[in-house]
Amino acid sequence: MTAITIPDTANVRPTATRIVTRTRQNDVAAVPAAITSEWIKLRSLRSNRAIFGLTVVAGVVMSWVLATFVKTDPYEHKPFTVANTFMTATWLTTVLAVIVGILMYTSEVQHGTIANTIAAQPARWVTVAAKATVAAGFGLAMGVVGIIAGFVSAVASGMDMGDTSGMAAAVAWGLVLTSLAAVLGVGIGMIIRHSSAAVSTALVWTFVIENLIRSLAPANLSRFLPFSAANGLLSIRSAGDTTETLAAALSRPQDALLFAAYTSAALIAGTVLLYRRDAD
Amino acid sequence: MITVSALTKRYGSRVAVSDMTFDIAAGRVTGFVGPNGAGKSTTMRMMVGLTRPDHGDVRYHGVSYTQLRHPTRVVGSVLDAGAMHPGRTAREHLRAMAALSSIPARRVDEVLHEVGLDTAADQRAGGFSLGMRQRLALAGALLGEPDVLLLDEPSNGLDPDGIRWLRNSLSDFAANGGTVFVSSHLIGELAMFADDLVVVGGGKLLAAEPVAATLARGETIVVVRTPDAAELGRLLHSHDINCSANGDRITATGTDLSTVSQLAFDHRIQVIEITEVSRSLEEILLDMTGASAEFAAA
Repeated sequence: MTAITIPDTANVRPTATRIVTRTRQNDVAAVPAAITSEWIKLRSLRSNRAIFGLTVVAGVVMSWVLATFVKTDPYEHKPFTVANTFMTATWLTTVLAVIVGILMYTSEVQHGTIANTIAAQPARWVTVAAKATVAAGFGLAMGVVGIIAGFVSAVASGMDMGDTSGMAAAVAWGLVLTSLAAVLGVGIGMIIRHSSAAVSTALVWTFVIENLIRSLAPANLSRFLPFSAANGLLSIRSAGDTTETLAAALSRPQDALLFAAYTSAALIAGTVLLYRRDAD
Repeated sequence: MITVSALTKRYGSRVAVSDMTFDIAAGRVTGFVGPNGAGKSTTMRMMVGLTRPDHGDVRYHGVSYTQLRHPTRVVGSVLDAGAMHPGRTAREHLRAMAALSSIPARRVDEVLHEVGLDTAADQRAGGFSLGMRQRLALAGALLGEPDVLLLDEPSNGLDPDGIRWLRNSLSDFAANGGTVFVSSHLIGELAMFADDLVVVGGGKLLAAEPVAATLARGETIVVVRTPDAAELGRLLHSHDINCSANGDRITATGTDLSTVSQLAFDHRIQVIEITEVSRSLEEILLDMTGASAEFAAA
C-alpha cells in the first residue's frame, strides 16, 4: 500500500478554529436540540396529524355508540354512565400511539433520513432519548384529547355521570399507558426498522398472538403479557375473563411497571442494535 | 485537511475498501472516481461515521468525524440525494436538520435561496424532481456553513444549467478555502472543475494526484495525412517512433506534433493534414481502473 498525498494549498478558511471535540457533557446538552428536531419531524407530517385527529374521532364515536346503541354494561348489567365509558377509546389510542412511535423511527429508515440524523448527531443515544421523549409527549397528548373527546361525547349523549370517584385515577393510568405505548413503538421500530413489518408485527401480536396465549396459558402466566398489562391499566374486561383471570390480575401500579419494563426492554434492545448496525 | 488512513471495510468475505490512504487538500476540489462497486460510497459513508471501518480512520484536522462536537458545522455531506421524507416540505426538512445541529433557523431561508429553491420552500419533497432533490440535499449540507463538502454523485438528475450552477458553486466554495470531495462517474464533467483526483478500483486506491498528473499519464497521438504514407512510416520507424499506416494516414505514438512535422519537412514529404490528439481523462481512467463501461462522458 502506498500513501499518496496531494499537496495542501492555500487554505484561507479558518477551519481549525471550528474543530472542537465533543464530550459527554456536550452530548447531554445536545438532547434539547434533538428533541426540537424530532418534534419538527413529527408535527410536519400529515399522517401524524391524521392519527391525532383519529383519536378524537374514536373518543367521540365510542362514547356515542355506547350511549346510543349498546346502553347497558354487559358485565355489570347496569346502564352505561359517563364515568365508565369516557375512556373506552383509550385502548385504541394506545394502539395508535404504538403505531406513531414505530413510524417515528421506521419512516426515517424508509426514506434514508436516519443517515442525516446520525451524521448530524454521532452520539446515537441522544437521538434515541429525543425520539422517546417526543413520542412520550405525543402519546400523552393523544391520550388527553382522546379522553376529553370521549368525556364530552358521553356527556353530550345524555348519559348519567355515575360514580366519579375513580375517574382521576383512571385518567392518570390511561395517560401513563398511552405515553409508554408510543415509546414502546419507537423501540419496536428501532428493532424491526421496516414500517409495514413493524406495524403488522405489533398489530398481530396485540390482536392475535396475545389473545391466543391468553386463551391457552394459565392466568398467572398470561397476566404478564404486555397488553394484558395495558388492559389492566385501563380496567378493561373482556368476554374471555374468568374468575381465575380476574383473581390473578395485577394491580394497576404493577401493570404500569410491567408495561414500562417491556417498553424499556424494547428501547434498550433498539438502542443496542442502533449502535451495532451501520446507519442505512 | 482531511486525512484518510488505512481505511478498510469488509462485508463477510468481500473486501469493499482495502487499506485506503490519501489526503484531501483544503482550497481545492477533489474528485473521487472509480467504477461502480469500487468502494466510493462505502468510503464516503465511513468518512461521516455512518459505516464503521474495520480498520483505519478518517480525520479532519486530526479529529475523527464522530468526535466532532458539531460535525455538520465542519463537514456538510450529501450521500443520498433522495434522503428526505416525501410528505415533508423543503423548509420543514431543513428546519429539522438545523434544529438537530443547533443551527439558527434563519440559515434555512438562506440556504434555500443559495440553492435556488426559495419558491419551492413550502412544497412537499415528494413532488420534487430529482434535480430539485439534489438542490435540497445540497442545501442541507450547506446549513452549518461547513468547511468541507462531501458529495456523492451530486450532479445526478441536474439539467445542464443545474450542472453548471453546481460546478460554479463548488469551485467558488473551494476558492474560498473550502474542501470539496466529490464522487462522480461523469469523468468529463469532473474534469472541468476538479483540481485533484482520487482514483479507486476494486476497493483499492489507484492514485491520488492533481488532475494534470493524471492527464500526463496519457499518451499523445499524432495523426498525419500524406500521399507518401509508406515513406513517412519508414522515416518515423528509423527515428524509433512507433507508428501504423492506414491508407494515406499515419498514426504515431510516443511523440509530438512538432517532431513529426519537422521530420516530414526535412525529408520533403508532403503533409496534407497533421493533428495531435491527447487521450481523454476518461480513457486514462478507464485504463487505470480496468473498467469497461462503468464511466460515462458528461
